[in-house]
Amino acid sequence: MQGRLSAWLVKHGLIHRSLGFDYQGIETLQIKPEDWHSIAVIFYVYGYNYLRSQCAYDVAPGGLLASVYHLTRIEDGVDQPEEVCIKVFASRRNPRIPSVFWVWKSVDFQERESYDMLGISYDNHPRLKRILMPESWIGWPLRKDYIAPNFYEIQDAH
Amino acid sequence: MAATSTYMASTHFSMLGYWTTKGNKQLKRRNFLSVSAQQTEVEEVKVEKDEEKKEEKQEEQAMKQPRPVEPQINVKSKNMSREYGGQWLSSATRHVRIYAAYIDPETFAFDQTQMDKLTLILDPTDEFVWTDDTCTKVYSYFQELVDHYEGAPLTEYTLRLIGSDIEHYIRKLLYTGEIQYNMNAKVLNFSMGKPRVGFNYNGQMEDVNQ
Repeated sequence: MQGRLSAWLVKHGLIHRSLGFDYQGIETLQIKPEDWHSIAVIFYVYGYNYLRSQCAYDVAPGGLLASVYHLTRIEDGVDQPEEVCIKVFASRRNPRIPSVFWVWKSVDFQERESYDMLGISYDNHPRLKRILMPESWIGWPLRKDYIAPNFYEIQDAH
Repeated sequence: MAATSTYMASTHFSMLGYWTTKGNKQLKRRNFLSVSAQQTEVEEVKVEKDEEKKEEKQEEQAMKQPRPVEPQINVKSKNMSREYGGQWLSSATRHVRIYAAYIDPETFAFDQTQMDKLTLILDPTDEFVWTDDTCTKVYSYFQELVDHYEGAPLTEYTLRLIGSDIEHYIRKLLYTGEIQYNMNAKVLNFSMGKPRVGFNYNGQMEDVNQ
């Protein structure tokens, strides 16, 4: 099962892997972290000028970390814009993914949140630091092997 | 510091300890009403520190002796509030406020340039009834934790670990009946659980019929 964009990438000899379609019929592609920056530039030049969202998740305990990008091609007079979903997987030991901040500027805070919650370090991000947790926090809260510290909270107050 | 100056009750002690790894850690417990301070023999503590460790294993119940900081005179508040760019490290929960600063116990001058000391303000809202005995227990536990985290980076995370452990310790004291809720407290919302009545703490149920 191959989508249009996947066929286009094959035609230009770009390495990727098709992950099928999601429930809305949007094509999902997996791209290696080392190729991701150059392919992001190619997608931007192709016409995906809008990054709808970026998120990240922990795939499995002890498994990979994933960074997900939803791209849209915004044009005049189009009511069904082309969309694609990109997943980039990184190893848990050394999760490094090139930042696409210099391609789509709107990814700034979202990559910072992914860094904060899952510890994926985005190369070439201009200010990669914690955004939700305090800066001295230890650990990555949304990883599946994270153990929350036994901090005191008021639970019983009436 | 509004937090330190609002309630000036007898439960205000400031406990100061050196954070650095130099070894001559001192802690001072200062009662707010009585000016006389209890000074521990600091040099003896230094020498006997190794022996103490061995002894502690033998007598397990031995509490760590708090080693207070010497009182300082002429402490000036540096007037570095947050809106003027001042920064300090703290862990503030309801019953435990830890600042990496020297706070004068009488004038509440807040000198956050002395980051080698930790000040503990215990229960500033007076939710519990404290005695000297239970205060000393909390202080010795604080000293124990400070010693335990020696060498750890001085960050808010570490301070919050210490503060949370002290809060859990206070909760344990409350559950074992060593401290009670202060019924004259300004805010009476039983933040560590509703008071339990109907049984005493000797392990026996009270006889209801009599």
